[in-house]
Amino acid sequence: MGFDLQQTIRGRVWKFGDSIETDAINPYYLYPTMAELKLHTMEIYRPEFPREVKPGDIMIAGRNFGCGSSRPGLVLREVGIAAIIAESVARLFLRNSISRAIPIFVVPGVTDLAQDGEMLEVDYPKSVIVNTATGATLPLAKYPPAIEQIFECGGLLQFAYERYIREAALVGRAGLENGRGHEKVI
Amino acid sequence: MAQTMAEKLLTRHNITGKAVRAGDFLEAKIDGAMCHYHASEPMHDLAIEAGFKDGLPRVWDRDKVYVLLDHHQPTLSQKLADENALVRRVVERLGIRCFHDSEPGIAHQMMLDYGLVRPGELVVGNDSHTLGYGSVNAGATGITRADMLYVLLYGELWFQVPESVRVVLDGSQPGYPIAKDIILYLAGQHGDDFAQGMSIEYSGTLVPQLSIDSRACLSTHGVEVGAKFAMFDEDDTTRSFIKARTNLPYEPLAADAGAHYVKEIHLNVERMPFVVAKPHQFGNVVPVDEARGVRINQAQIGSCANGRYEDIEIAARMLRKHRVAKGVRFLISPASQQVYLQCLKAGLIEILIEAGAQVITPGCGICQPRVGFLSDGEVCITSTTRNFKGRKGSTNAEIYLGGPLTVTAAAVAGEIVNPREVFSGL
Repeated sequence: MGFDLQQTIRGRVWKFGDSIETDAINPYYLYPTMAELKLHTMEIYRPEFPREVKPGDIMIAGRNFGCGSSRPGLVLREVGIAAIIAESVARLFLRNSISRAIPIFVVPGVTDLAQDGEMLEVDYPKSVIVNTATGATLPLAKYPPAIEQIFECGGLLQFAYERYIREAALVGRAGLENGRGHEKVI
Repeated sequence: MAQTMAEKLLTRHNITGKAVRAGDFLEAKIDGAMCHYHASEPMHDLAIEAGFKDGLPRVWDRDKVYVLLDHHQPTLSQKLADENALVRRVVERLGIRCFHDSEPGIAHQMMLDYGLVRPGELVVGNDSHTLGYGSVNAGATGITRADMLYVLLYGELWFQVPESVRVVLDGSQPGYPIAKDIILYLAGQHGDDFAQGMSIEYSGTLVPQLSIDSRACLSTHGVEVGAKFAMFDEDDTTRSFIKARTNLPYEPLAADAGAHYVKEIHLNVERMPFVVAKPHQFGNVVPVDEARGVRINQAQIGSCANGRYEDIEIAARMLRKHRVAKGVRFLISPASQQVYLQCLKAGLIEILIEAGAQVITPGCGICQPRVGFLSDGEVCITSTTRNFKGRKGSTNAEIYLGGPLTVTAAAVAGEIVNPREVFSGL
């Protein structure tokens, strides 16, 4: 499923430190299935997280969020994280999140804006995030239009498919569903 | 406008042909796609998720896609064997010509071994350590699996042109490899994200003295400090390395005089101590003397960062007159079959085995919890890429990172130690 950048996100904050790494977010070496991952994501940093996280919660973190191997944070979406906001994000985690239309925002100063358990509101259309208890705000940078378009499509996979359909229609080809003349696999 | 290497690279590859500068977004033409087919979510499944109900319908260029089954060769489970079998069918159906299937090794090293990446190219790979090809003046970087699906279909991908940082390395190369110490030291001094999203350009008087092996370590580890690219200029060392492997033409990259760098970092390696990264982060770096006396259970040399000839040669050279300490498991995994063969022909493997080391199959396993797991309370020192908690199995084990010389010294002493205390003549 994609994510609508135009909707406002309001949720309870889980706060993490610097250089949160992808082996901890997605410890698939130890837990290969999504069902298992959901029980163990982030437990290295906060053992209670997998038990107590609720759908709609927001994760905030320090610098270099998602460093390490290239692994999408799908498990965070699966446990209900509605948005990730960090001081800075490792480039592959950022690319992974955009590719899978997971709402992620780089907001310098965010770790001072809210404490663990407080409520944050992310208003992308108005380019602002708000601590609803204190009223404190920070500006939220917009993505360039090309990236917004990937979010609107529901991610890069869908974006790629839509381009394929569009280009095939342009050359007047029908029935392009899959490599015509090729044998099916599995 | 004077351009950095990254600006020049992405200007050359911009599909609109327009000059770009740091901060610009563009759609870039891709010269090569290294695809090691991730076992947990093969490209095939992603294609189905995208909407292609029978899988990927095509690849944009059958000669520019390189598929290497590195992480899972030989397979260690039935599940992986079945996934590899699926990859074989997909590769055949799509007509991909470069497929390294029945050969263990790390994809990144095989890309270099077989001349599949050349100076000036824009090469992407679905693995974070793809940056390593910057050692031969290529603009290479890791991309996500969804990005790879897009590349395989169109040979294009979106990029933001990175800012650039110059890392100036001065001094003389000692008689042993120090690339790992350099990058660890830089991460310790400047933070494990000092190049976040940026392009690193290595320069300075040390660079012409660095082997391709050392450069590959420094470029590969670009990702451990957040970089998008980590590149070296093309020089005589590059030219002779490439010439021995491919005769396809290429156009090298060089920055213009007056190009803009957001920062410049200087290091004179003659004033740098041997260092280790303590658990559990790459930037948690101290001089080796500050970790002295930590008892170890396992020592390792391998990976896309430090599993190359010079890394194994220094271990063998030191083990000619020493033995691995009793109770220490010293695992050495050459980065590829070609590296393994080179070590074998040079007589290194015999020395290593006689000294009590274990030589294991080339591949990524040594850097992951796939080969050589650690148990609760155990300590490992390794020249591989990462020391995250649980990276070698137990989350109650401790992993230190160090250069191959420091790892070998610890293997001999049974504890972390300054190599100068163990080996004479350094």
